[in-house]
Amino acid sequence: MLCENCKERPATVVFKQETLNHATERHLCDKCAFYSQTFSFSPDQEPLSIQQFLAHWLGGSELFSEQKADERLPDGPKCPNCNLTFHRFLDIGKFGCAVCYEAFSVQLPRLFAKLHNGHTQHRGKIPVSLNERFALKRKLEDIRTKMQQAVENEHFEEAATLRDEANQLKQQLFDGGDDQHVI
Amino acid sequence: MSFEKFLKQELTGWMVAEGEHADIVLSTRIRLARNLQDYLFPISASQEDANRVSEALHHAVKTMQNHHFTGTAMKDLSPLERQILVEKHLVSPQLINPEKHGSVLLSEDETISIMVNEEDHIRIQCIYPGFQIDQAYEQADRVDSELEANLNYAFDETFGYLTSCPSNTGTGMRASVMMHLPALTITKQIERIIPAISRLGMVVRGSYGEGSEALGNIYQVSNQITLGKSEEEILKDLESISKRLIAHEKKSRELLLAKSEVHLENRLFRALGTLTYSRILPSAEAAKCLSDVRLGIDLGIIENIDMTILNELMIFMQPGFLQQYAEAELTSDERDILRAQLFRDRLGVVRSAAQKKDNDSL
Repeated sequence: MLCENCKERPATVVFKQETLNHATERHLCDKCAFYSQTFSFSPDQEPLSIQQFLAHWLGGSELFSEQKADERLPDGPKCPNCNLTFHRFLDIGKFGCAVCYEAFSVQLPRLFAKLHNGHTQHRGKIPVSLNERFALKRKLEDIRTKMQQAVENEHFEEAATLRDEANQLKQQLFDGGDDQHVI
Repeated sequence: MSFEKFLKQELTGWMVAEGEHADIVLSTRIRLARNLQDYLFPISASQEDANRVSEALHHAVKTMQNHHFTGTAMKDLSPLERQILVEKHLVSPQLINPEKHGSVLLSEDETISIMVNEEDHIRIQCIYPGFQIDQAYEQADRVDSELEANLNYAFDETFGYLTSCPSNTGTGMRASVMMHLPALTITKQIERIIPAISRLGMVVRGSYGEGSEALGNIYQVSNQITLGKSEEEILKDLESISKRLIAHEKKSRELLLAKSEVHLENRLFRALGTLTYSRILPSAEAAKCLSDVRLGIDLGIIENIDMTILNELMIFMQPGFLQQYAEAELTSDERDILRAQLFRDRLGVVRSAAQKKDNDSL
């Protein structure tokens, strides 16, 4: 059975809603189930606090796995630095340290999308010290795209020049610091 | 340099009635949340961690070229002194929990405050009077860049500035504009406007931030989203929404005036009467009447009262300041009596001085 909403992915979640008059049942895929309103905001209400928001989300995910209702929710990943589990993070609504962001990096985009109108990527200020490396990285990406185009258009000489340029930049980046995940 | 002057002075930088649209916009505030990479966030930090963060920050502030700050730890202040800092909006209510190792650094003119070990390691706050979004941001941005030169900020290319609360992640910036919107409140239009604004990624709240009601028709409009938009975009959105609110409020004021001038005048002068002649003045009533008198001044119906005095009274009427003035702990009743006396004195003096001037010029 395909998801009723996107009609692309298989339906994995039965979404039941009961009101006084009738009950509705919808078969959705994981993704659509998450993005459908699992909890409703009334405009008259005080805005939800972050703890309430995350607690609702946790409640929502329990609702999806009805057959597993008896089981305790898994703790999810755990931060190696401050020992906060993802489950506990949803409970208290706060990160314990900067490393938590890495530890929960798989779960976070979905959460941020909900909190920040679908956005998951920072687009604002960058610390000056990081800025220079960032500029180098952007330039490198730019050169790689051009190189790809040159190869596709069979301009091999141009591609070779670009490759040398890219290697040079890469060297600069390596010299610039030990922050491996930047590259 | 003594910290005392910050507690004695009731008038602070943002209270002078100046800046653009000062009749409607009381103040503009920018807050930047920052953390240090190498320490646990305050929520999970030990006392030693907190002390080290505090030391690192005090050291970084000392090396700053263009700003001079004076600092104090919350635990070194009395409960009353802590309350006064909150009432002046120089620190947040969360910072003053004495068990949480919080401290604050204030600039000479009190427009910049750096809170240490609040929810995040660092919270830079700039408050300017009136509508000055860009100026307030530029100031906060400068302080941030200067601090960053000596501190290792927690920053990630994908998630931006890493904050303790996921609702601040990204820019870590909360920009807010405090507005007096009596006409939109009287005409009940505000009830429709608040949900509409929330759909644009902005929030409208009472004047003291999260969970407070709109005392004295004062609202705070701020950005909800911090991730995926640049600071400039967020500020531009806030500016355009604020300007629309200002225009809307102005139009509603004109309509009110045109439709029922005598009723409006009656209400505003009664409020002035209450403030000038009461013997017992509870804070909610004082806030309501202050709002009416402020509207009266803006509309030119009430004359001879300086707006700065109203701003000052708005701060001075709060429990912490009243008790400092009395140099004693006061019960709620005693506060209401002292508040009435203060308003009488302050407004009475001004009015008689203004009348005297009128007589002199005759």
